[in-house]
Amino acid sequence: MSLLEIKNLHANIGDKVILRGINLTVNAGEIHAIMGPNGSGKSTLCQVLGGRDGFEVTEGSVQFDGMNLLEMATEDRANAGLLLGFQHPVEIPGVKNIYLLKESLNAQRKARGLGELDTFAFMKQVRELVKSMQMDDAFLHRGVNAGFSGGEKKRNEILQMLLLQPKLALLDETDSGLDIDALKIVSEGINRLRGTDRGIVLVTHYQRLLSYVEPDFVHILYKGQIIKSGDKSLALQLEAEGYEDILKAAS
Amino acid sequence: MSAALPRAIEPVELPEWLRAALSQPVTASLAPTGVQTLACEQILSWGLPTARDEEWRWTNLRPIARLSATSTIDNTASPKTPATDLTAFVPNAWVIRCNGGQLQPLPQNLPAGITITPLTEASEADCAAAFAPRAQGRNDALVALNTALAGDGFVLDIAAHADIQAPILIDWHDTPHEANHSHTRLLIRLGAHSKATLIEATPSSCSNTPLSTYWRNAVSVIEQGANSQLNHINLGLGDYQRLLTDRSFVHLERDARYRSIHIQLGGQLTRHEIDVNISAPGAHCDLLGLMMPRGKQVMDTHTRITHGAPHTTSNEHYLIIADDAGRGIFKGRILVAQDAQKIEAYQNSRNLLLSNTAEIDTKPELEIYADDVKCSHGATIGRLDDEAIYYLQSRGISAANARKLLVTGFAQEIIDALPYPELIAHLSELIGAGA
Repeated sequence: MSLLEIKNLHANIGDKVILRGINLTVNAGEIHAIMGPNGSGKSTLCQVLGGRDGFEVTEGSVQFDGMNLLEMATEDRANAGLLLGFQHPVEIPGVKNIYLLKESLNAQRKARGLGELDTFAFMKQVRELVKSMQMDDAFLHRGVNAGFSGGEKKRNEILQMLLLQPKLALLDETDSGLDIDALKIVSEGINRLRGTDRGIVLVTHYQRLLSYVEPDFVHILYKGQIIKSGDKSLALQLEAEGYEDILKAAS
Repeated sequence: MSAALPRAIEPVELPEWLRAALSQPVTASLAPTGVQTLACEQILSWGLPTARDEEWRWTNLRPIARLSATSTIDNTASPKTPATDLTAFVPNAWVIRCNGGQLQPLPQNLPAGITITPLTEASEADCAAAFAPRAQGRNDALVALNTALAGDGFVLDIAAHADIQAPILIDWHDTPHEANHSHTRLLIRLGAHSKATLIEATPSSCSNTPLSTYWRNAVSVIEQGANSQLNHINLGLGDYQRLLTDRSFVHLERDARYRSIHIQLGGQLTRHEIDVNISAPGAHCDLLGLMMPRGKQVMDTHTRITHGAPHTTSNEHYLIIADDAGRGIFKGRILVAQDAQKIEAYQNSRNLLLSNTAEIDTKPELEIYADDVKCSHGATIGRLDDEAIYYLQSRGISAANARKLLVTGFAQEIIDALPYPELIAHLSELIGAGA
């Protein structure tokens, strides 16, 4: 059974058709990269899979770990093991990071029939993760993403991912806005999640990230469809030749 | 700022039971006779304030007029939930219990530097000081009423140079009482260089009798000597049916610092007023508040800060979180006198509407006669951020819990100013439960 199976997915925002029949299968242990120019539907695909309001799925199906993903509430998707890394992580002043981490981990444990995590064990785990993402402990007591730099926000996304250990991480342009040091830290974080029982989908605009996190498959999304798939060499070709030639060749 | 439609303006007649009380107040009031007689005449001729009176534009006192003649608090019913004992959250407090306006026996062995004298035993001079603030017009009618009927109260003196570490907790525990209303008067005096924390709490004692109604109309006079420091915490919890009107007159001498933290989570109608007179250089006041009206609750805060001397500063920060058909009102007046140069005054009113039927009215009112001042004010009214709710949901947190986290987070900047971690945790829970 595949971890994620998207079949002929069509989606609209209002009258505007964004996704026009996406087919994608992700198996456990695989890393997929979805690349594409602006406006190709990358973020819409992420949001539809995340369960955000405002998108209408008109056709197609999505199976996640044997479940009908599109029928599930956003929080249930998360608790079933899907993590969406935001392109623009939301600033929530007033809600401390540590509360978000604790609430989300406990929600996941509850969904799996486990009791609340012991505070001591939780703090130990969180502190280790903070250290590994090269962040300061003080950040735990700041508002979620409030006043964070672009790089701090993305590191925070990866930190949450490593704490929640999702079956499938869907990372929407996690590499955008990162300097080279932050990119390395974020990439190391993603590589730590890599494993035979997990899948990772990297949605990205640039090839750069893929030098640090090597994908098994690369897909090119254009006008709401995957028009070309290949291995990691496709990303390099894209970097060398630009979108235009590949789009021309594919159309 | 307000989406309010004009409200019908009708006079609020003095209810019969209040007229009756005013016809025989001499035995009840502790005010000096002449002062009391004048106040009595004033309130009888004015009646209760209405929406026609500028300071009462948004708050209708009709629930007071509708009170029945006697208290409907049922003392015999066994409590469904035990009264919140705030001493559990405020360690080492000196507790003063006031029941139905009647001062209960004073705590024994008060530390050196604290003197508490019931007004019934206070000197003429102290009584005169306690009743010094006079009603100037119908906007102040409740002060006149309090002066006419003040049946209990006390003088709290903090000696010069005393540093009182443990908080003094006044527990307004208004349960068994025959009348439906009480009028309390406090005189709080801090000697020069002294420091104290005063907590006034209206605990959730009547949750066993949801239909009970009771009105407390309080006036406090706070006089702070040079370089003294008072933390004044006001906690209004629980008790949905409670009516509470209170007004504090604060007078600050040179370098004195007054800090008020007011948290209102309960009450059918509450009106909280603070008048701060900053009369000498170097003095400062911080006024912080959070009101959370739900159901059909109306919660109102009016502040008036007078910068009467140069080099004085003030800072105000008020939050309202209104849900259901609740209404929250904040009006903050800052007056800078002509010769009061080098003033800094900052006012911030942030508000959260949780439903389409809730209402928030907020109004800054700056009156500045000096030319070398820094005054700023800001007011915002918003809703919960859908993006933030979605983000939290995407981390596995249910929509309801996301809402709780956001509402508690919004309130946090006021709650966190409290110096007691256990109290902060308790209030956060109450706020989360109400969100």
